[in-house]
Amino acid sequence: MFLEKVFSKGKKENEVIGDITKQIKLLCTACGFFKTALETDNPSLMRQVMDIEREGDTIRRDIISRIYEGAFLPYLRPDLCKFVEIVDSIFDLLEDTGYRYLDLKLPEQLRGECIQVAFLNRRICEMLLITFESMLKGEDLREKILAIRIYEKKIDDIKFDLIRDARKIEITNFWEGEILSQFLSCLTSISDVIEDASDHLQVIHVSMK
Amino acid sequence: MWKVISGIFLGWSLGANDSANIFGTGITTGIVKYRTAILLTAIFVLIGSIIEGPKCMRIVGDLSRLVPIEAFLCALAAAIVMTILTYFAIPASTSQAIIGAVIGAGILSGSADFSKLIKIVACWILTPIGGMIFGYLLYHSLKFIFDKTIPSLTYRNTVYGVGIIVAGCYGAYSLGANNVANVTGIYVGSGLLSCQMAAFIGGLSIASGTLTYGKKVMITVGKGIAPLDPFTALVTILAEALTLHLFTQIGVPVSSSQAIVGAVVGVGIVGGLRTINPKMLVKITVGWLITPFAAGLMTILFIYLTPFAEGLKTILFIYFTPA
Repeated sequence: MFLEKVFSKGKKENEVIGDITKQIKLLCTACGFFKTALETDNPSLMRQVMDIEREGDTIRRDIISRIYEGAFLPYLRPDLCKFVEIVDSIFDLLEDTGYRYLDLKLPEQLRGECIQVAFLNRRICEMLLITFESMLKGEDLREKILAIRIYEKKIDDIKFDLIRDARKIEITNFWEGEILSQFLSCLTSISDVIEDASDHLQVIHVSMK
Repeated sequence: MWKVISGIFLGWSLGANDSANIFGTGITTGIVKYRTAILLTAIFVLIGSIIEGPKCMRIVGDLSRLVPIEAFLCALAAAIVMTILTYFAIPASTSQAIIGAVIGAGILSGSADFSKLIKIVACWILTPIGGMIFGYLLYHSLKFIFDKTIPSLTYRNTVYGVGIIVAGCYGAYSLGANNVANVTGIYVGSGLLSCQMAAFIGGLSIASGTLTYGKKVMITVGKGIAPLDPFTALVTILAEALTLHLFTQIGVPVSSSQAIVGAVVGVGIVGGLRTINPKMLVKITVGWLITPFAAGLMTILFIYLTPFAEGLKTILFIYFTPA
């Protein structure tokens, strides 16, 4: 086992890293689809976000089983698994947001701000990928994490505007209002979870230093 | 030859207790499996005993002129003291127990060489300090080297994993080389065994202790140790191994427990003394003070009791021999 570890040159570890990179790239794609679907009001494109979520689930299962088959030091395994779970919860949140969107007729006065949030979500995902790749190279993560926090702050600012604008909309049906409120809440919390994932990358980075 | 039995018992107890100092941290960090750890420890302890073990034999033998029966009683007293202190969970050192026992016997026969004892006591004091210095220096130097040369997470992961196993093997080698003199060194001084034979028998007895009882102690010790990160674990094992190896070259058997405690303190100093438990340090100091005195007193008691035992043996022999 010892010699296998030396001569494999971290084959198992590289497979896990490859899969995590794939998972984050898939998240970027999902966020991109979500944004385009919102821009073009395209329900079939929105349904593809749900398909991507299922694909993300499969990758998560593969990563976790590979980690517990012996990839990485046991000390690092729980943190890596937690990171993968956090990324997976972003997929879940994106899927929930998509379902809410399909259930409602988004008022046009809110669409612009929602597209802006979806655009920032996509950017923040790309930043997460850059941060992950930097962590693998052992580079300093502070600037990347700061960029993620700035994006998150921007989304928070838009969130307050969105809530203020949403209050002006006349609601005739309870469920219509409830689903709109849930949609806005889900859409604006995606960035919070991405920020959690980036914070966790920092934990992994520090623990191996 | 039966007089070697007490030394073998002492070696067995040393192997069972001190093997946890080698791979304990590796096990708590989950890098090494128990079975691999005890097997590697046993193999490298034996190699270390055979190759460098004789280096420390002379000083134990020269401390007092012992006859074989006294050597037997010294090892027995040391083994009993170690068992009692371990039972009461007081950290004890085999080196201190055997040196205390030999000095006890030497005081009684008037052959104790206190000039050599001063060198040994100086080394006892220097062992944790050595561990501390090595721990501190290795932490800084290895961190600098790793940060410069191995930035990749995957490579670092491999280096830590392999490094802890290699350092553990080196630690086991140093343990065998340094501590085998505690087990059979007195028999060399009493003329019962040659240096090579003593190193071989002592190495085998330590290895047997590791193989038969080491796992149990490793599990107990492993659960008691605060989980260290892989880098700190690597530094700690390496510092302990270097300390033991250094004292082997000086020719004085020292305690692996003191070396590892020193190494942990050295690493703790880097981290702002967070890993140091003052209560534990007091307990260790008390153990270090009690061990040589207790072993010395017990040896004196055994030597006083020997004529009575001989008398009892004669009475029993006469009583049970058919007329």
